[in-house]
Amino acid sequence: MTANPGELEAVGDAVGQSVSAEVTGRSPTRIAFDRLRKDKVAVGCATIMLVMVVLAALAPVIAGALDIYYDIKDPAAPSPSEVLEFDGYPAIGPPLHPFTWEHPLGLAPKTGVDNLAYLLYGLRTSLIVALAATIFSTVIGLVIGLVAGFSRGWVDTVLSFIIDLFLSFPFLLGMLALAPILISNAGNDLDKLARAQFIALISILVIFGWMGLARLIRGQVLSLREREFIQAAEVIGVPTRRILFKELLPNMVAPIVVAISLALPGFVAAEALLSFLGLGLTGTPSLGKMLADAAPYYKDYALYLWMPVATIATLTLALNLLGDSIRDAFDPKTRR
Amino acid sequence: MTPVISGSTNHGKGGPVMRFKKPIVAFSTAGLLALAACGGGDGGGDSGNSDQSIDKETLGNTGDGKDAEAQGPVEIEGAQEGGTVTVLTALGLTTPIDPSDLYYTDTNAVMTGLVTRQLTQYVYDEESGQMVLVPDLATDLAQPNEDFTEWTFEIRDGVKWETGDPITPEEVAFGMCRSMDNKTFPNGPGIYFSNPYFLGGEDYKGPYTEKDPNCEKQEAISFDDTSVTVKMSKPFVDFDYYASFPSMGPIPLGDASDPAEYARRPMASGPYKIKSYSVAKSLVLERNDQWDPATDAGRTAYPDGYEFKAGQAPDQMDQILLADSGAGQTTIGMDDVDAKNYREFQNEHSDRLVLGGQPCTFFYALDYRRITDRAIREALLWAIPYEDQVLSSGLIPDVNAIPATGLMPPGVPGREEYNPVPEHEPFATDAEKAKQILADSGNEGYEIKFLFRTDLDTDVAGKDVLVKALEAAGFKATPIPTTVANYSADRGDPKGEANIRSYGWCSDWPSGSTWMPPIFQSTDIDEIGFGTNESAFNEPEVDQKINEVYELPAEEQPAAWQALEEEIMTEYLPVIPRYYGGVAAAHGSKVNGHEIDNTLGMPTFKQIWLSQE
Repeated sequence: MTANPGELEAVGDAVGQSVSAEVTGRSPTRIAFDRLRKDKVAVGCATIMLVMVVLAALAPVIAGALDIYYDIKDPAAPSPSEVLEFDGYPAIGPPLHPFTWEHPLGLAPKTGVDNLAYLLYGLRTSLIVALAATIFSTVIGLVIGLVAGFSRGWVDTVLSFIIDLFLSFPFLLGMLALAPILISNAGNDLDKLARAQFIALISILVIFGWMGLARLIRGQVLSLREREFIQAAEVIGVPTRRILFKELLPNMVAPIVVAISLALPGFVAAEALLSFLGLGLTGTPSLGKMLADAAPYYKDYALYLWMPVATIATLTLALNLLGDSIRDAFDPKTRR
Repeated sequence: MTPVISGSTNHGKGGPVMRFKKPIVAFSTAGLLALAACGGGDGGGDSGNSDQSIDKETLGNTGDGKDAEAQGPVEIEGAQEGGTVTVLTALGLTTPIDPSDLYYTDTNAVMTGLVTRQLTQYVYDEESGQMVLVPDLATDLAQPNEDFTEWTFEIRDGVKWETGDPITPEEVAFGMCRSMDNKTFPNGPGIYFSNPYFLGGEDYKGPYTEKDPNCEKQEAISFDDTSVTVKMSKPFVDFDYYASFPSMGPIPLGDASDPAEYARRPMASGPYKIKSYSVAKSLVLERNDQWDPATDAGRTAYPDGYEFKAGQAPDQMDQILLADSGAGQTTIGMDDVDAKNYREFQNEHSDRLVLGGQPCTFFYALDYRRITDRAIREALLWAIPYEDQVLSSGLIPDVNAIPATGLMPPGVPGREEYNPVPEHEPFATDAEKAKQILADSGNEGYEIKFLFRTDLDTDVAGKDVLVKALEAAGFKATPIPTTVANYSADRGDPKGEANIRSYGWCSDWPSGSTWMPPIFQSTDIDEIGFGTNESAFNEPEVDQKINEVYELPAEEQPAAWQALEEEIMTEYLPVIPRYYGGVAAAHGSKVNGHEIDNTLGMPTFKQIWLSQE
């Protein structure tokens, strides 16, 4: 990358001071990671994320070790009449009985499902959905952005129009309309239904989630393709594919990483929102669904509501702050 | 004969119980949770943790309650006039209020209690907590001929419409004639009672469909200056009960009762008239000054008016009633209180919690064509997780889900408590026993298929519970997904895959004749489908016996129905009774006289009054 003269001067100052100490070649990515490592917020958030990922990954192990179940279908899970009182409140643990290690976070009313187990599996679902949606939407956004930006003329016009079309389409309305259609195609097969819901949810998130990145990339490509190194490559006859992926793409690592790290929490929240509205997952544990189930109990069993709220809040906050830090780290204009 | 919309594992209570097999698609998830409960402590076994508990012996009992001598005016000691009662409901008031088209419990309670008058009516008897059948527009409970094929009602003098015009026997006769038009009034009870029983009713299509505005082509109903006579094509022993239905009341002649118009604003003959009405939203009633209490043996009219608000969020309704401030003090909840709020109502506001019965049974109908081995049916009886399903659907054992023994609920005359399989106690689930029976009969791994609604949370939970229990008992469980919108059609499809179906049924009036024939009489499956016989039960011998009971003298019929039920259930076990219905409603602190009309499971609107400051 070339820098403008003003920046060059500033960098020159900094270089001038440190030259005497040690001169080592460092890639922009390396610099960014070094900056990240010094950022306390980033380190804290990354740790939280790591813990959450580990918890989610180990959900079956933890649930097995504590002998708790997220699914009332499980043959070993206690039946509702064994663990619930006559009005559906848990007969063990909060809110009516003292804390017990048997069920550290208590039981869900009406079904008697263990809250900790459900929370762990719900976290798992959230992370898988968010990750899958992020990966797919990034790939789609990247390809469309690259193609639109690099190919002048009608291709760019059409692609830009499609991007604008999807951007202007009301996101929530689209989801409300699409979710039942996708799900209704599942027919009578229950496993297929659960799978269909899962795929439908991810698809919807992707369908409405790729445009931001596509636009960003298109803009970057538009400015980059006028640079000398791209023109040189074109002149010496480098194939377009190679220019796109070998010349342009490496120059856009920073905006891509930033977009990904900011998209993740968005997808976590979107999954929770859709499941809360009953449009997302029904057969799979989900934080949003737990939130919907718990909402009516806010008065008598606040803990039940706070658990999914706290989990979603922690997850999205940590991811957002981490995303912010990553953006700062990758942005050469940031000075700390 | 009243089917109830019900879930595959839980039922659609909380709102009006549907008196007809038409589905209400708009059951919100939340609405289904609007259920209440009471009863036992841990495990829910014992009830009676308060002095208020449902009298399980007489739940819905109206059998011995008839008083042909009752006279108006009715006065309640200490009752005060004035005020407007607010009535909240989540699911109510969505169904027709045209008297000829009215067959749902909520609209029935509101219209017959406050707006329209019929030949007979029920009043609440404080002492027994039961409903008693008394005359309304008729001067007594009618005089049937010896074999119950001709009923004559003397019509009371001096009863007026809200317009001030007198109500004539001709208008009563027209109302009855109108009920035979089941094409114009497809929701009404006429198709079940008017057409089959009235002389020539099978052929007569009603005044609108036949283009016979004065009902001259029918032969069943005749009238003179003071009375109306109905001739039956077959004995109709319980016609005095049917005479309490809105469709058995007067309807103005001619254009005044044009079906499209009249459906929006039926003319009032009772103490209140309709000020405004918006389907599924609101109904406002104001005083009808033409109503004369001296002519009415059942109704009082202390409040100045009523305001019904439908489509309420169940939890919000409970919070309004719990808070009991402002308008909440003069509010009645028409639906059950939410299970999760039940304890608070019971502990802190027990004076405002009203428990009562509902003559309904919820059961699994086992497809008789498919599950042919009785051993499998008996194994199912042991395998069904009764209590787990009740809890997961948000009902409370012993309050609005009372463990069922036989099919007919308590209160049906002649009913006696018995267990279809003697050693099986109600609500008992024993997977080992079921497994044993399956193994002994060589049916291990028998596949049970049942419907559940994917878009109804309680149904999904109920499905999980049932699958688990069936598998624990050695069955193979195959849930078949459907949606709330398609549920009723899928369940009623004889070619559908399910081999057990969840069903609910309520008495229209206390008689075994509203239970045995509709549930067990064989139907032509190919031609008309299940009808109301959802187990497709078909035994010519039983059909024969049902007809024989009809031939018996009226006083021998109750015991005969009970004997027949025991015989069918012990020998064939075509249905598995799960629980009987119940009601737990609440009201504000200024509301008095709110009890449960256990023929409908609805508030006793006829006797409500508000304390004035």
